[in-house]
Amino acid sequence: MDKLLDTVLQMLEGSQITLEIFCVTLVLALPLGMLVALGRLSPVRPLSRLLELYIWLMRGTPLMLQLLFVYFALPMVGIRLPDIVAALLAFTLNYAAYFAEIFRAGISSVPKGQYEAAKTLGMSYPLTMRRIIFPQVFRIVLPPVSNETINLVKDTSLVYILAMNDLLRVARTIVQREFDMTPFFIAAVFYLVMTAALTWGFKKLEAHYGKY
Amino acid sequence: MANTENELMLRMHGIKKAFGDNEVLKGIDLTVACGEVLAIIGPSGSGKSTLLRCINRLEEIDGGSIEIEGEFLAVTNEAGEAEYVGAKKSRELLSRMGMVFQQFNLFPHMTVLENLLEAPIHVKGLKREEVLPVAQELLAKVGLTGRENSYPSELSGGQQQRVAIARALAMKPDIMLFDEPTSALDPELTGEVLKTMKELAAERMTMVVVTHEMAFAREAASHVIFMEGGHIVEQGEPQAFFTNPREERTRAFLQNML
Repeated sequence: MDKLLDTVLQMLEGSQITLEIFCVTLVLALPLGMLVALGRLSPVRPLSRLLELYIWLMRGTPLMLQLLFVYFALPMVGIRLPDIVAALLAFTLNYAAYFAEIFRAGISSVPKGQYEAAKTLGMSYPLTMRRIIFPQVFRIVLPPVSNETINLVKDTSLVYILAMNDLLRVARTIVQREFDMTPFFIAAVFYLVMTAALTWGFKKLEAHYGKY
Repeated sequence: MANTENELMLRMHGIKKAFGDNEVLKGIDLTVACGEVLAIIGPSGSGKSTLLRCINRLEEIDGGSIEIEGEFLAVTNEAGEAEYVGAKKSRELLSRMGMVFQQFNLFPHMTVLENLLEAPIHVKGLKREEVLPVAQELLAKVGLTGRENSYPSELSGGQQQRVAIARALAMKPDIMLFDEPTSALDPELTGEVLKTMKELAAERMTMVVVTHEMAFAREAASHVIFMEGGHIVEQGEPQAFFTNPREERTRAFLQNML
């Protein structure tokens, strides 16, 4: 029993790294994704094309490869980042690209008449976006953002290749040391609890914003 | 803004507008006096909606001039291109006009009351307590007292359009523009919207109405313009216009509509 408790405690520690990567990535990638989406929709062609290229690169290559690139290739050109920063950089850049495409689709799906109504009421562009467009976009993008967020919980396990002691790596280390599969089951429970909490939270949000 | 009767509210001269190679307006002149209701009728593609949208700059003209209450919004320069006044002046002039759309365009994430309060509070910077009585009064006027907390999706098309009228009026415009306000409505719902518009006309609100409702144009308009192919074919007082149109084209159009 002590042994099980000890395992769970070690894994709780590992899940801190997991949660840290999850939270920081979300906090950085959501606003960055919104900015990229606005840039993609901007009439300034070079900006829009550049961001299109960025999105293509991020969505067209494996996140694992992007992690390895930031971790191993950047130091070769003299950019040395602490492990956690390297991981967060790769995750944020990758997820911002996915969020940007979700937000772009969301913004595009708000009818033109909403902008025109706002304009005839004297609302400026920033005011229109803040008060009229974004609240509608928010509701439209909730389900796909919820999906991506749940993916992110599981994707955090990719950092195990960077020798960071996240939940999965801690589990694997114990399994290899003790020849006992229990940590894998515990890890599964940990991930399930996290994704269940997210699913519940997003369901609440969708219900709240589904009132109109 | 105090306006004496017959004061000119809107003057458009030589309005030209093209979308690519497609010339939609080929030199339109019109004037609207204070308290006047101008009805613009015509077949689809005649340019009537585009003309209306040029008044409040939802579309920008290529040539001609627009004057609002004696002040220029746009003039044509020596090179023959339309030039708009500076952003600040433009905003000020446009704020004197309200618009009602075919598709209502209410803000779906806000209640009826929030739709009305939005612009007075966030554009004019008024306090909620100041605007609330105005909004309540407007809702009473369009017959929607008690629906303050409904969302647009919970209302019928006719109710939504009446909210849209109240929302535009909440900004206290001098001129109201209507772009086919009943075209998206079931026939039995057009009556309630037209009734609201007639009441507005009776209060001497200056209105420009693009419409397919000949009965409304005949009863409520003080002046009717018939457009086709980017030109004004015929215009006049509704009585003479509807009973004895001069142009063959007008006669053919009216026959189809009535």
